[in-house]
Amino acid sequence: MALTLMLLLPLLAAIALIAIPGESTVERGIALGSTVATAVLAVVVVWGRHEVDVPWIRSLGVRWHFGVDGISAALVLLTALLTVAVVAHALSGPIPRGGTGSTFLGCILLVEAGALATFMARDAILFFIAFEVVLVPMWVLVRRFGDDHVRDETRADAAGRFVLFTVLGSTLMLVGILFLVHHQGTSDLTVLAERHGVGLSRPLQVAIAAILLLGLGIKVPLWPLHTWLPSAHTIAPTAGSVLLAAVLLKMGTYGIVRLAVGTVPAGVAQLSPVLAILGVVGILWGGLACLVERDLKRLIAYSSVAHMGFVALAIASGSETGLQAALFGNIAHGVVAALLFFVVGDLKEQWGSSDLHVARAALRDKAPRFGLALVVGLAAALGLPGLVSFWGEFLALYAAWSPAPDRPVALLRVCVVLGAVGLALAAAYALRVARIVWAGEGSDAAEGPAGEPVADARGARWAVVMTLVVVIVTLGLLPHLLLGLSDAATSGLLSGLGVSR
Amino acid sequence: MTGLAIDYTTLLPALLPVAGLVLVLVADLVNPRLRRVPYAVAALAALGAAVATVPGLVLGGGTTRETFCLTGRTAASASAPTVDGLPQVCLWQADALGSTLQLAAAVSAVVCIALAWPRTRRRRPPDSTREPVEAVLLLAALAGTIVVAASRDVGTWLVALELATLPVIALVALSGRRSAVAGATQLLVTSLVSFALLVLGVALWFAATGSPFLTPDAALSSGGAFSAASGAPTSVVFPSVSGGVVALATVLVVAGVGFKLSLVPFHAWTPTAYAGSSVPVATFLATVSKIAALAALLVVLRAVAALGTPALVSIALLASLSMTLGNVMALRQDDVVRLLAWSTVAQAGWVVLPLVSISALGVSASATYLLTYVVATLVAFAVVAVTLRDQPGEGRSIAAYEGLWQRSPWRAGALALALTSLAGLPPGIIGLVGKITALRPVVAEGWVWLAVVAAVNAVIGVAVYLRWLRAVITAPDVVAGAGTEGAAPAPVAVARRRPVMVAGLVLASAVLVVVSVQPDLLLRLLG
Repeated sequence: MALTLMLLLPLLAAIALIAIPGESTVERGIALGSTVATAVLAVVVVWGRHEVDVPWIRSLGVRWHFGVDGISAALVLLTALLTVAVVAHALSGPIPRGGTGSTFLGCILLVEAGALATFMARDAILFFIAFEVVLVPMWVLVRRFGDDHVRDETRADAAGRFVLFTVLGSTLMLVGILFLVHHQGTSDLTVLAERHGVGLSRPLQVAIAAILLLGLGIKVPLWPLHTWLPSAHTIAPTAGSVLLAAVLLKMGTYGIVRLAVGTVPAGVAQLSPVLAILGVVGILWGGLACLVERDLKRLIAYSSVAHMGFVALAIASGSETGLQAALFGNIAHGVVAALLFFVVGDLKEQWGSSDLHVARAALRDKAPRFGLALVVGLAAALGLPGLVSFWGEFLALYAAWSPAPDRPVALLRVCVVLGAVGLALAAAYALRVARIVWAGEGSDAAEGPAGEPVADARGARWAVVMTLVVVIVTLGLLPHLLLGLSDAATSGLLSGLGVSR
Repeated sequence: MTGLAIDYTTLLPALLPVAGLVLVLVADLVNPRLRRVPYAVAALAALGAAVATVPGLVLGGGTTRETFCLTGRTAASASAPTVDGLPQVCLWQADALGSTLQLAAAVSAVVCIALAWPRTRRRRPPDSTREPVEAVLLLAALAGTIVVAASRDVGTWLVALELATLPVIALVALSGRRSAVAGATQLLVTSLVSFALLVLGVALWFAATGSPFLTPDAALSSGGAFSAASGAPTSVVFPSVSGGVVALATVLVVAGVGFKLSLVPFHAWTPTAYAGSSVPVATFLATVSKIAALAALLVVLRAVAALGTPALVSIALLASLSMTLGNVMALRQDDVVRLLAWSTVAQAGWVVLPLVSISALGVSASATYLLTYVVATLVAFAVVAVTLRDQPGEGRSIAAYEGLWQRSPWRAGALALALTSLAGLPPGIIGLVGKITALRPVVAEGWVWLAVVAAVNAVIGVAVYLRWLRAVITAPDVVAGAGTEGAAPAPVAVARRRPVMVAGLVLASAVLVVVSVQPDLLLRLLG
């Protein structure tokens, strides 16, 4: 009951918001109230491990089957709580130009509903349907509410690329799912995970895993398929960037864990070298791009590619630690990327652009709160021990160094070495940004409006940013809070014993 | 032919449009200047036909409503040949699938009639009005569609299929404009070629099976399943040849129906005819005519399915070509009717895609996809028709839809739902379910390349429909800011009274919303 309510509440609120014409104060109440209520319900659902299972599309054998387990619990909480932050942040500032506030908030809520449904779906086809729900609202967010300093064509390009790449990925994923469902005779993810690929020949497993990984790899995004991400993140409004980075990218890695690793283990094992290599190339590529990138938002988008590379490497290791690292890295990147996009989005709003080559007043002196949040975010991004990202990346490298027995050890160890180089690159670009934006290198040359100090964060926005900083530090110091959630579930998924609830 | 039993209640779906047709003709005879009465009669007849199909829907479980049954002397010998050399067979078989297609055709016809509802303001011509003619043509085409879905013998099948086609040509020509005549001519020529192919296909069928019936029994009596049916008395002389002849007949029928479904390379008439005719007629072409074509194709394929024929490469090729070309061309259109025309071509590819697996699964998947397409297309066309009546000059260009979300949110919402359904994205869940259903038989046959082609086309399709949707959700002030002065929307469209038209839109949208929330309603109709 609580679970269905939790899924329907943001959905109905979104429909109500989109139906409301024009500007009014009601919309703020609806948006904030429904997200807070959803977050409370999410905590209840995760705490009580609720589940709902009723028939939906009988002719296709699709059931309205949602549930929480160790693998999805943290992601559900992340999505629900982060949406509260996004809405609070959006309400405390001007709504981006391009449409009414109610449409804007409605799209945010639709994304939330779709993401929650994706993380909780226990049926492969239902998973696909939920996966698609986020597309149109996110497209609207980028297309209509995107950065209005750029030309219309640029927005169209960014939004179009996002939606077309993602649709290609999800349709390929659908083909993979249909193959799997056709050969196993059920679309219940729990049953599929319990069968653990039994009954599928090895070539078939490899084929299914290849299609699934290709489709989901676009969403993650894995290295050669990432080209949609920088432009979408750059153009999207702050809320859109945060949701994209913190929630939508997670759907890709979560999908790999849930759909591919559990159901076609032999296929994934066969393809793990490719996954590892693409992950490492992504780490290096993202790091190198960050070293030269001029646009701050785009830079953080590229750093997302690098961070998701670590997650891919962790999944490729095939061990329990690797899976734990992947899930932890997911959450870590979600929180850190959210913080960075909030800060950078606010800065861009005031600066009018996010070009690093324009000399500006330093944050350290003029806007210490922004400065603090930015430095914490960058420190977390470079994997400083004591902050949340450290555990995700450290565990990923550790797992890949000593992978599961059926994985190519030598190759994975080479990948680990290269991944460590990627960590050094992360330090280099994080310090580059800190030098320019925070310490204000070259800020003496700032003139005109660029020399004006930005107004510092305050009110709800400051609270949102501070909360994320606290979470980053807390989880960095007490990682077992998160690791404990997924502990039993990962071993169950890998051994095919079924995911305990 | 002994004991031809006729059950008139079973025939009601076909009889009602015909009765309406006669009624309109009589009314026209009495008073040749009627405008609305013929349309009202047509709408009632179509509604009645829709209601009359309902008993066929609730049957389920593989039972069919049959009539025109040729019974032998002894009714007990069910499958044995009768004295006439003909097995016991019913010439009219309306099962769940057939009845559903009939229902869809009737409801679509109601919406088309509502969209074409005559205006009162226009002055009455002195001699006679055109409306009765249009109503008669609409009803005739509807009757043909309903009959073809239930027909099981080659004669009825051919005649009904042509009855569903020829009146539409006249409707296109009657739309009045000069381009309409060009469209009608092209359609006429295409139909003739298509008819020739169909007749040839049917002749080959008869040659191979020796049976005038389009039933699985007839197909089994050919050589295709000779070994399986060995021992059973057959009227076939050269069994080894006739299997191939059945295959050839099937391919010819696919080609002939391909013209009507506007599959590439038989699609050339589609954009011309759609753009030339009025929007309600284009709607009729895009919905009822497509239902007729697919219903005809399914009658043949269900008979052939009994043979356990391997998948047909030709259907796979037609499907992938149609999807690709239709989507790519639709991407370049600025006229919404032309866009919908090319989208029809692409969607026709999706409709026949599941038929690569000639089996019960493929047939029902194809029908499911057709229905989702018909519902969504109806709504899209209805919105175009209403918009066109608001802005007669420019309602056909995509630019005219800019700011629709602000001007009339409900209409924009209906259009958004229709476009996302066609694209196969939520909130158009039904489109998504249709996509899943259509891909299932392809995957079951193990055709990976075709599935990948379909996946790529899903992407191009999304691009096509989002281009239009973008205009719908774009706020006009943003448009003005971007500097496109020419597209500045009319201040406030004069709200004209068009209740019937809006009722048609509301009916179609309601169906779309209901099946989007609960797709099972639609899927279960097909049994």
